[in-house]
Amino acid sequence: MLFWIFAAILTVATALAVMRPFMTRKGASAGGAAHDIEVYRDQLDELGRDVERGLIGKTEAEQARAEIGRRILKVSETTEGVAGDDRNRTVVRLVAVVAILAVPLVSWGLYLVTGSPEMRSQPLQARLEQDPSNASVDDLIARAEAHLANNPQDVRGWQVLGPIYMRLGRFADAETALRNIMRLSGESADLQASLGEVIVGKAQGLVTAEAEAAFRAALELEAGNPKAQFFVALARAQEGRMPEARAAWQALAAGQPEGSPWREAVAQALAGSESAEEQGEKETPPGPSSEEVAAAADMTPEDRLAMISGMVAQLDARLRDNPADADGWRRLIRSYTVLNRPDDARAALGRAIEALGADTPESAELVAFAAGLGIAVE
Amino acid sequence: MSIELGHFALVLSFALALVQATVPIIGGRLKSEALMRVGEPAAITGFALVALSFAALTVAYVQSDFSVLNVWENSHSAKPLLFKITGTWGNHEGSMLLWVVILAFFGALVAVFGRNLPRSLRANVLGVQGAIGSAFILFILATSNPFARLDPAPMQGRDLNPILQDIGLAVHPPLLYLGYVGFSIAFSFAIAALIEGRIDAAWARWVRPWTLAAWLFLTGGIAMGSYWAYYELGWGGFWFWDPVENASLLPWLGGTALLHSALVMEKRSALKIWTVLLAILTFSLSLLGTFLVRSGVLTSVHAFATDPTRGVFILIILMIFIGGSLALFAWRAPTLSAGGLFQPVSREGALVLNNLLLTTATATVLVGTLYPLLVEAVTGDKISVGAPFFNLTFGPLFLPLLAIVPFGPLLAWKRGDLAAVAQRLFAAFGAALAVTLLVYVIVDRTSVLAALGIGLGLWLVFGALTDLALKSGLGKVAAPVAFRRFTGLPRSVFGTALAHAGLGLTTIGIVAVTTLEVERVVAMQPGESVEVQGHVLRFDGLQPFTGPNYTEDQGRFVLSRATGAKLGEIVSSKRFYPARQMPTTEAGIRTLGLSQLYVSLGDKTPSGALIVRVWWKPMVTLIWLGALVMMAGGAVSLLDRRLRVGAPMPRSKPVTATQGNRA
Amino acid sequence: MTRKQKRLAIIAGALGFLGAAAGLTLYALGQQTSYFYMPSDLQERPVASGQRIRLGGLVEKDSIMRGDDTQVRFAVTDGDHTVKVTYAGILPDLFREEQGVVTEGIFGADEVFVADTVLAKHDENYMPKEVADSLKEKGVWKEN
Repeated sequence: MLFWIFAAILTVATALAVMRPFMTRKGASAGGAAHDIEVYRDQLDELGRDVERGLIGKTEAEQARAEIGRRILKVSETTEGVAGDDRNRTVVRLVAVVAILAVPLVSWGLYLVTGSPEMRSQPLQARLEQDPSNASVDDLIARAEAHLANNPQDVRGWQVLGPIYMRLGRFADAETALRNIMRLSGESADLQASLGEVIVGKAQGLVTAEAEAAFRAALELEAGNPKAQFFVALARAQEGRMPEARAAWQALAAGQPEGSPWREAVAQALAGSESAEEQGEKETPPGPSSEEVAAAADMTPEDRLAMISGMVAQLDARLRDNPADADGWRRLIRSYTVLNRPDDARAALGRAIEALGADTPESAELVAFAAGLGIAVE
Repeated sequence: MSIELGHFALVLSFALALVQATVPIIGGRLKSEALMRVGEPAAITGFALVALSFAALTVAYVQSDFSVLNVWENSHSAKPLLFKITGTWGNHEGSMLLWVVILAFFGALVAVFGRNLPRSLRANVLGVQGAIGSAFILFILATSNPFARLDPAPMQGRDLNPILQDIGLAVHPPLLYLGYVGFSIAFSFAIAALIEGRIDAAWARWVRPWTLAAWLFLTGGIAMGSYWAYYELGWGGFWFWDPVENASLLPWLGGTALLHSALVMEKRSALKIWTVLLAILTFSLSLLGTFLVRSGVLTSVHAFATDPTRGVFILIILMIFIGGSLALFAWRAPTLSAGGLFQPVSREGALVLNNLLLTTATATVLVGTLYPLLVEAVTGDKISVGAPFFNLTFGPLFLPLLAIVPFGPLLAWKRGDLAAVAQRLFAAFGAALAVTLLVYVIVDRTSVLAALGIGLGLWLVFGALTDLALKSGLGKVAAPVAFRRFTGLPRSVFGTALAHAGLGLTTIGIVAVTTLEVERVVAMQPGESVEVQGHVLRFDGLQPFTGPNYTEDQGRFVLSRATGAKLGEIVSSKRFYPARQMPTTEAGIRTLGLSQLYVSLGDKTPSGALIVRVWWKPMVTLIWLGALVMMAGGAVSLLDRRLRVGAPMPRSKPVTATQGNRA
Repeated sequence: MTRKQKRLAIIAGALGFLGAAAGLTLYALGQQTSYFYMPSDLQERPVASGQRIRLGGLVEKDSIMRGDDTQVRFAVTDGDHTVKVTYAGILPDLFREEQGVVTEGIFGADEVFVADTVLAKHDENYMPKEVADSLKEKGVWKEN
């Protein structure tokens, strides 16, 4: 309601501003010539000052004065049109009425189309001060965030927010929260393991080198930390070192009491790895040499990724020259899947079928293997 | 409520602008005093309304009201207050609103200070201003409404582009727009004169202060933008011949030409038609600049938040105003009378030559900027026109222009004596030549170009000083007399001298930094040092730091002279803004005299060293100091009493030539 | 000289000057512009080594390799073809894998593009216009 009153006041004020010239009867202002002559008179004054200062010679001054004089004469000669108010009174009145009416009509008409008059302003501070009982989760998070922005040393705030972020899938924010908790309350195995988990979440399930470093740090602090053990094993599995992974998982499950959620998780992981293995190759594939692996361990995550990518690219190239290698194709497809490049994996599968022949048993086996990894033929 | 009220005020200002665009012009046709008088209250009220609207948007930014789409897209509650305020125009919608606020501001100024203008001229000027205003307000309301709402409102915004979170954003766009939009007044004057079919020397005097003010602001805007790009982008360059930069340079060149031709028109009543055309072209170039920046039709490194669909709307506005005004010009110009005569060698002649060179230079920049568009439209090939093109074309046109600048102010009107002027400038020339040789022999024997360019810049500075010395009669009259004369010189003489000297300083800066710059790109481990031009920079390592809405790695460097004297610390950093997941580079800059040492960080190498780029930029600050001096020249000229012609008394009798001759 | 002749002389002089300026501009446009290529364009219209061009596309994933000095190698791709690029210096802040990029330089003898300029705009959603247009033609990139 208040808004409409203000809008009405603005409209009336604007219409009045347009109306003003018609309401005040002011004498007609000086004609155009008078304004021109004012300028030329000023030019003559200026010329006089220049002569006084000796900036300009006598003859030039005379010439200039004559020239300005001619301009004044010329302007004076032009006859001034008589004000035409009387002759066009009806037209003028019509224009005035249309103009004054246009102000409210155009503005209100247009505003009703473009505006949202029913919406109130919502300054953030006022929203944060609202009664929390009827606030949404987003509101509560924002409140906590605003609080932490001002009090970044409040470890409790971070401890509350961290798991919420994690559950909402906001992994980057969760990572910030965890790092802040560690900064404020010191490291612990659980925090390191959670950090690793968040990083895995950020990488869409891939246990990156950075994540593994966090898990290793957790294991340093507490050798039996189940979450860290589980993910380290997962990392092995994702590298294709299944026996190692399985052994680690089994060891983890054995160390847990009956009814522990980790037993359940391990069981699932083992089942998953076996189904993948059944469709996989029987013999161990030629992996990177032990030197290469040792080198990889010392590398930064980016470099390691680069090295892995490089090896995959080598394999890819080799298969272009030498395509009749079903095992090679299998490894390539799996590598691409692990590197989270499903499109490449699909392309590789297509190439493999082309190379091995569409109806051969090798092809069928490969398709089944790929399907287990979630890769379908295009 | 304030947001919707701001929105309503904007809509209302559109309705009012329509009235302002039509009623005073109809009044002028009908010779109706009352209708013509509608222009002033409409212009003043219109400014109040758009200012209210802009204030409402600013309040929404300051209060982080994310129920406003524009605020949500470009702000963040953790952003420092200054950047919340400047963020108002750090985006397309807000910057267009700022554009309109400044347009309305100039219109209101004409309404308030235009009492010395003839009634019908004032009415027509305000009418044209209203037309421009209504077109752009409609553009905002139709395609880029900053008051669009968001329901339900998010709790956090997406933050402003980190590059824009800088004090530069507070200064650069407003200055630039004051320049761009200020030329609209010159344009409106030109159109008003064409509508009336009457134009004379007095017109030039009325339009001159507006042009001067616009030029002053545009100079500042360009210089500020250049310095901002220089320190913020971390590339150490001050000018890239990028389309967006050219878009601001074009109206500046046109406006500079207009300033000079209006001088001839005012004094000698000559070059009338040309001046009117320049006034139209200058603002057309401003509109073109707005179009290029806003539409993104050209690839630019500086363009933010562009949107091609909006470009079409601006293109239509562009065609209506430029096409319409040029058509009006073609129709009316032949009826305008020719002006005074002059010899080729004269002040007028020099100013004509200035105009010829400036407009040709403008044309080459325009061609270079638009050529890629043309080629793509015709052949479909994508090409780019870069610095080599502009250096090859703009350079040869601008260098002779710089060389003749000192002659102009010394030549007499109507008929000048070139030999006498050359004689008077002999000292200035000798001094510039001496420095040129000195630079060549002492500073750098390898660069003739550097010596010549610095000499050219000094020639401009010494030429400006010579002008002042001669006009105060130094050497001819006794020293106290000369001093009295000097202090009594018209302000415009100082303005000219300052502007020309400033141009010289900028020239020196540009030449010095492009020819004598030293660059080192090195991979540094903590503790390592690099030597640049007699300065030693030691890298002390990276330190993490947390800002209000970013985190950064600060590279700390200790600077000392080769002799060992400590000069202090330089901090250069790489920032990361989590809200936009965007990194920026904050250059570390240390000013030493007129020169600067510029340190910018790169990435880490596999071995853990940090790539560091260090520049020694000799006399680089002169580029912007020169621009400040030019602005000072413009400001001093604006204060000249010539530009404060009073209004005649109403109904005064026509003054005759003899009465006017009282001086 | 009469007034008319004098005016003609001045106009002729100005026109001659403008002609010279126009000639210079045309010459410069012929010499100093660089054409924009996507990697696939190079298959159709090979570029002589030494000719200056702009090469645009996406930075190929996993292709960025840094040397221990300031050299950087990466590959520019448009989905169909890929070109190797080397660059010495500091890359723009927003230079990232799978982001649009425009590089300017010449081809060396070994089919590697030696860039002296790498452009990426100051906007996190930046896609250089030429790159965006070309990728849209190929259907690789869609506006979201």
